[in-house]
Amino acid sequence: MIHLDSVSFRYRAASEPALSDVSFHIRPGELVGLLGRSGSGRSTLASTLNGTIPHLVRGDLKGRIFLAGEDIQGRRPRDLADRVGFLFQDFEAQLFSTNVALEVAFGPENLGLPRQEIGRRVDQCLRLVGLYELRHKMPAGLSGGQKQRLALASVLALGPQILVLDEPTSDLDPAGRRDLMEAIRGLRRGRPLTLVMIDPEIDELTWMDRLIVLDRGRVAVDGTPAELWEATETLENLGLKGFTLARLATALGVSSRWDSADRAAAIIKASGWQVKEGATDLLRRADADRKNGEVLLEVEDLEHRYPDGTQALSGASFTIRRGEFVAILGQNGSGKTTLVKHLNGILVPTSGDIRLSGQSLRGQPSMLLSRLVGLVFQNPDHQIFAERIRDEVAFGPRLQGLSEKEVAHRVDEALEAVGLAGAGDLDPFVLTKGSRQRVAVASTLATKPEVIILDEPTTGLDQHELDGMMALIQRLNQAGHTIVIITHAMSVAAAYARRVILMRNGRIVRDGSAREVFSDESSLLDLGLTPPPAVQVANRLGVSALTLEELIGSLARSPQPPSPPAPLLQP
Amino acid sequence: MNLFLYLDKGTSVHRLDPRTKLFLMLGSFMAAVLFSQPGPLFALLVVLLVYGALGGSLENLWRIWFLLLGIAIFSVVSWSIFTRGSTPLFWRVTWEGLSFGIGAAIKIDGMIISGLIFLSTTRIEEIVLGLIRLRVPYQAAFAFSLGIRMVPTIIGTAMTVIEAQRSRGLDLESGGLLGRLRNHIPLLVPIFLQTLRGTDQLAKALESRGFGAPRERSSYLEIGFHAADVLTLFLGALTLGAFLIIRFLP
Repeated sequence: MIHLDSVSFRYRAASEPALSDVSFHIRPGELVGLLGRSGSGRSTLASTLNGTIPHLVRGDLKGRIFLAGEDIQGRRPRDLADRVGFLFQDFEAQLFSTNVALEVAFGPENLGLPRQEIGRRVDQCLRLVGLYELRHKMPAGLSGGQKQRLALASVLALGPQILVLDEPTSDLDPAGRRDLMEAIRGLRRGRPLTLVMIDPEIDELTWMDRLIVLDRGRVAVDGTPAELWEATETLENLGLKGFTLARLATALGVSSRWDSADRAAAIIKASGWQVKEGATDLLRRADADRKNGEVLLEVEDLEHRYPDGTQALSGASFTIRRGEFVAILGQNGSGKTTLVKHLNGILVPTSGDIRLSGQSLRGQPSMLLSRLVGLVFQNPDHQIFAERIRDEVAFGPRLQGLSEKEVAHRVDEALEAVGLAGAGDLDPFVLTKGSRQRVAVASTLATKPEVIILDEPTTGLDQHELDGMMALIQRLNQAGHTIVIITHAMSVAAAYARRVILMRNGRIVRDGSAREVFSDESSLLDLGLTPPPAVQVANRLGVSALTLEELIGSLARSPQPPSPPAPLLQP
Repeated sequence: MNLFLYLDKGTSVHRLDPRTKLFLMLGSFMAAVLFSQPGPLFALLVVLLVYGALGGSLENLWRIWFLLLGIAIFSVVSWSIFTRGSTPLFWRVTWEGLSFGIGAAIKIDGMIISGLIFLSTTRIEEIVLGLIRLRVPYQAAFAFSLGIRMVPTIIGTAMTVIEAQRSRGLDLESGGLLGRLRNHIPLLVPIFLQTLRGTDQLAKALESRGFGAPRERSSYLEIGFHAADVLTLFLGALTLGAFLIIRFLP
């Protein structure tokens, strides 16, 4: 169905090629996952499949691409639109109609189909993605997950045989992610759809037929999930993580494959492993060793109603102590971002009070608050404006009226902390998304806030960048900063946060230690949140471990191993 | 937040052909520019408000009341002060100046209200289709509609950027005139770049859905002139005729 014959591509003005000599063959109906670090050429490769490259993105394309046996050289995306559907990450930019049905009709209209046929396709595609009931609504009023499903329906209405999905779930909350994936899985019933999907999370790609891993523009690994199950080390050398459950199996020396936490737990027990005596207590004691300081922030009965009447917060109360590491979890629209915007004065409470070190913030100008509580927004591109990183980071300190000498000192300090020392004279726009995110953190850090709040600090980062960003945040926390993060990445919350606040409909529904909250799976599932795979297995084995490492450390061989004897634990 | 003006209601005005509503709007503009004295302009305003009420679109007036009021005040005050006349009222204000100011206020606000009614009762897709039937090239009609659709997106981006920079301590109100202008650079650069990125994405998404394919484009929406359109156009022409008679008969 898709055949690439030594395809190479170099972006205009780039010195290195983004793709070099890529060849492979994808059969009709095959499900293919594309993996790789950011900059490995995943999106570039996907863009060549419908002619976006080289027709809308300039550069030098070599090699030949065949779709269903036909060379697509010279074909623009619009010529291929009825054969290759393309779903982008940014769902906002894909929708432009004033009603759901018209959005879906746009593609078939371009194909010049008769009106009746358009109507049939609109209804059929909206049913497929579960949006039929909303067909008269405005796309602008839908949730993120619904918008992405609408974008999917709009693409399907063109009747493609090939569907290319470029990180379709990266901007979605957990429930939106789950619903979209369900819709995508459901598509294959009754139609021979070939799927090429990019997803940074390998654990999300277990249901593919085949996984292709790119590294610096070349195909590094090409195999079935079963084959990649064995290849954790190879993947790690490429800057990726292996399947979580595969890493667990390797560490325990168990050779079976598991596709669910339930099976994993059963096999682990059957292979002669058990939870060490008092393992949970041991983990809890380690938590308790970290003492928190005095109360910094007290939020009391916070309510917020937006001018259009939306009640975003209805009575949230909590306190934050110096040195804490808090994660706020919940679906989009649950009030997380509205809540943190109050903490540095961007929003003023409709009612309720916030006290900082015992002092009420009521009537304080927001300038004072932003010095005490720094907020790093989700998208660094909403704030970066300077031509040099140094000036970008100096923006906050300069506004505080500090001397140029002190400003320079703070900038150096902040850049050092985020691992960008020496990069001060670069243009921030040449950096990768991960590094731009670091610039945004440095900009906040340079104002020396007591509390640093980060809204979705890991969205759009690859595994390597994510680990780097979270290690940075952890270092800041250990250096005495109080950290609050909002995140949809459950593995991030479990591994790094000490305390978790769960929100729903503008209320705090749970507030406890990360260990306590994550061991209570049903209340997470109630909110549409799924614990990460390692935590799920741990819960089934009866230990409240939060990471794979903690889980492995909590297991020991049973005194009398059941037969057959399993191999020894690998170091 | 809904930044579009369209109100999804099934009123009789909504059901009219977009071309009919377009002609009514243009007709009202024509009537408005005919006059400068408040009397007939006020009559026109009443006609427009009745039309707007039939289309259920007057609630949108509340969204732009500050604009309408601002224009009215500015117009009345400035024309009163700067227009010479022969019937002094007080200070340098004359009856002629005041009357001209009130007329101008009703004229401009009336045209805005007329445009507002059109956008409140007509989908952008219908406008595009109407323009195409009036032989405007599809590409041009669609570009016009994208322009309208970009406005809410840009406003949304601007709101986020303002919040992000305020949280870093940016105070737009500080400093003298030059300082205030300089304060806006940290806003304008990200807004501009984000908008550029957005349009680039949009271009890719549009083309990958077949936009611009060299085939005859069909339409899911149906428009056409019905009895109601004929009646409405007849009434509209009658009203315009009446205004023309008032204006040009001695």
